[in-house]
Amino acid sequence: MAISRAAASSVAEALTAPNTAPGAAPVIGVTGAPGAGKSTLIGRLVARRVRDDRTMAVLAIDPSSPRSGGSLLGDRIRMEAISGDPRVYIRSLPSAGAHDGLTDNIAEVLGVLDAFGFGEVLIETVGVGQAEYGVRALAAAEVLVLMPGAGDYVQAMKAGIIETADIFVVNKAELPGAERLEAELLAVLERREVKAPVIRVSAVSDEGVAALSEAIDAFLQESRERETQAARQRFRLQSLVQRRLREVLDQVACEQWRLPLADLYCSVLKRL
Amino acid sequence: MSATAQPGLRGKRILLAKPGLDGHDVGAKVIALALRDAGADVIYTGLRKSPAYIAQAAVDEDVDALGLSILSGSHVELVAQTFDELAARGAGDMAVFVGGTIPAADREALEALGVKGVFNSDMRLADVVAQVARALA
Ligand SMILES: Nc1nc2c(ncn2[C@@H]2O[C@H](COP(=O)(O)OP(=O)(O)OP(=O)(O)O)[C@@H](O)[C@H]2O)c(=O)[nH]1
Ligand SMILES: [Mg+2]
Repeated sequence: MAISRAAASSVAEALTAPNTAPGAAPVIGVTGAPGAGKSTLIGRLVARRVRDDRTMAVLAIDPSSPRSGGSLLGDRIRMEAISGDPRVYIRSLPSAGAHDGLTDNIAEVLGVLDAFGFGEVLIETVGVGQAEYGVRALAAAEVLVLMPGAGDYVQAMKAGIIETADIFVVNKAELPGAERLEAELLAVLERREVKAPVIRVSAVSDEGVAALSEAIDAFLQESRERETQAARQRFRLQSLVQRRLREVLDQVACEQWRLPLADLYCSVLKRL
Repeated sequence: MSATAQPGLRGKRILLAKPGLDGHDVGAKVIALALRDAGADVIYTGLRKSPAYIAQAAVDEDVDALGLSILSGSHVELVAQTFDELAARGAGDMAVFVGGTIPAADREALEALGVKGVFNSDMRLADVVAQVARALA
């Protein structure tokens, strides 16, 4: 099945897709606020990690407009460092109906990629707020990218993504405020007893990218068992049920919304 | 951006690219936004890309259409090269649109190369979007 087909398939089609056991390729998730520098950083990181015997795939997700359903997929243009490298495959995807920072059918798309034998797969999530961390279920390593000038962001995310990330990047480290951000972040991590590397990077100048790449290697070394088949399967099931639920809710007729909540609940469950 | 939704563009993937050396992409960006607002998924690849790069990106991204914005005047050569590169990757039948400052005399040459639509900068945005939608429906 081609990637477009996998990405656009309906719930029914996705159910008949072959079982996609996680392939040999580790998935590296890169997440963080809009504009934090995820795409630029991925370009640098992939340029450093790609080898003739380790081709790389990048799935770059940008948000779909809730109004028109369309999207402007602008991540590829920021991945200057790898544009044109024949060992790197970049695929831009709209978030479509997904609200977890990923896209509908991301697990099926990963399954299709597995067949091509890439050495590693990177996923760039949409710029996330507090509650979107779907990539955790799919990634062997999750990198959270922060930038200075968004100090409130650390504050806002304390309970969310900070607990799911494996490696923290303070990007745009050459800008004022980077040290303060790092200090704030370290303080939050310490208070929550999260032990994870914090790495200062400047994706525009490539500074710190080597250190990040090493941190990823070290993390993958000690945690290869995390990306289990069960985790991916659970993720697929959850996203298919959520999509089916949206379909069913869309079919609830206007007048039915006046029914008691318990009745609505039963009738929706029955139709799932 | 006021282009209205075009059912025919929903879920369609369109790559917008600028081959050649001119450094103005305001027009390409305006078209990108209009197509998005009409429901398409639009990938913009930026300035000064080679025909080989553009063709590879169009194939990798598995797009339904490729839009080339060319202001440099060398549109016929650039479009011909892009079709060659597409064909070399098994995508010679890609729906290709060209926008920019295209003299009327060159229209036919572009259409003979296989271009599905030629848009001049003075065309109304809504008409451009509608024509792309019709061609992809
Ligand atoms: N000063 C500085 N700017 C950077 C750095 N890294 C990225 N940028 C800039 O930050 C802006 C956003 O970068 P992107 O890579 O597009 O950020 P992103 O997180 O992928 O953004 P979205 O995909 O829109 O969420 C661009 O203008 C980059 O050039 C950096 O290390 N230093
Ligand atoms: Mg990005």
